[in-house]
Amino acid sequence: MKREIPLLITFIAGFLIVVALFIPHPPFNKIEETFNSWYIIVAGFTFILGIDSLILHNWEKIRRRSEGWPFALTVILSFFITLIWGIVSGVRTGHIFSTNSTFRNYFYLYIYVPLQATMFAILSFFIASAAYRAFRARTLNATLLLLTASIVMLGRVPLGNVALIPVISIAVLMLLWVLVDELKYVTSPTQRLIYIGIAVVAVVAAFPITKFLYHNLSPVTDWIMNVPQMAAKRGLFIGLALGGIAVSLRIILGIEQSYMS
Amino acid sequence: MHLSTSIWVWIAAFFTLAIFSFLYKDNPFYRFAESVFVGSSAAFAFLNLWFFDVKPKLWDPIAKGNILYVIIPLILSILMLTRFIPKIKWLSRWAIAFTVGMGAGLGITGMIQGYLVPQLKGTFLPLWVPGNLATTVNNWLLVFGTIFTITYFYFSKPIKGKFGVAAKIGIIFIMVAFGASFGYTIMARVSLLIGRVYFLLHTWLGMV
Repeated sequence: MKREIPLLITFIAGFLIVVALFIPHPPFNKIEETFNSWYIIVAGFTFILGIDSLILHNWEKIRRRSEGWPFALTVILSFFITLIWGIVSGVRTGHIFSTNSTFRNYFYLYIYVPLQATMFAILSFFIASAAYRAFRARTLNATLLLLTASIVMLGRVPLGNVALIPVISIAVLMLLWVLVDELKYVTSPTQRLIYIGIAVVAVVAAFPITKFLYHNLSPVTDWIMNVPQMAAKRGLFIGLALGGIAVSLRIILGIEQSYMS
Repeated sequence: MHLSTSIWVWIAAFFTLAIFSFLYKDNPFYRFAESVFVGSSAAFAFLNLWFFDVKPKLWDPIAKGNILYVIIPLILSILMLTRFIPKIKWLSRWAIAFTVGMGAGLGITGMIQGYLVPQLKGTFLPLWVPGNLATTVNNWLLVFGTIFTITYFYFSKPIKGKFGVAAKIGIIFIMVAFGASFGYTIMARVSLLIGRVYFLLHTWLGMV
């Protein structure tokens, strides 16, 4: 009873939604519409469980006076202040996002937006530091990642082709530096010759490549986005879809039951 | 320089600078702003959920007297809250089962309609376009790039031999896609950074 009924509910809900995709006629389309509406309501209530966890976790920190407890208090206070402000403003004006809602005009514009935007903005600095680690072009894969990211970034901004000249110059200098550094540890004459060959090719090819990209940066970026990038994304999406369908089928058929624990 | 006289602009500037201060090192100003962000974000998400979903779909019909129309989701929602009562906690599984079942059903239909069929449809391209070599080459790259990428994620067979070569070509395509995504992510973050710096210099300090 404690397991069978939930499994039956899962099966009926999932099965009817899938059936409605293949038979979009009454009564299945009506059932799908009703179920979707119910789903939004019930899923909304799961949020209360999450809120409970957030409040209890922080309350426990305050109760035990553990390190940083004033910040736990700040979390709880800001939660309730925002909630009460939103409810009062929403009830008064009909909706939290009404043009005359103080919640929208003050909390949202001057507290929430600055906090969220700045939080994501500082990630640009950490991404730069991560990029330094990821982009040390030691392997073919890392070099490809570096090249694509650089071309896409420069190709999508004004005057990107002008900035390309110093970028390629620095890239070639870095490559030469890495090659010279590696050369110290290479003993085989053939390998030395290969390293020197790569360095000569990089220096010789740098000028025509820069010239070509300077005049064709935008079409090259479009080609990267529309052909190799698109091919990989398609492969990833097809894999994702097949995986998602397989997992969903396992849930509907009751093979996957981890959500019952 | 023309300093803003609005208290709200000063509050926004304080929070902006408090978060930027983390670039130097972790400090109480940053942790305060972070805590405010966590608490207010949770409340904001809850309010959004209430005003955009639960109120129009559950509360408004009840207020209009159409309780029968929403009786089943209402019961399921109440069952969800039984998780707080240990003795009848197991009843919350009924509500969870409904959301999981719906999620799985919508997952299948969404994946088929949103990803699988459109992507497969887009990959069925002519491998020979008379008089247009560039399109022919691009179509080859698109079709085989897609196949090789899928090959890389096929784990039921050891990745070696001809299969390994296909998977290695697949990883080249994947790296190009990741590079492009990385480039776009950096650009999005930098545009946010420009927005915040502009707010400080223009709206708050009135320098530009």
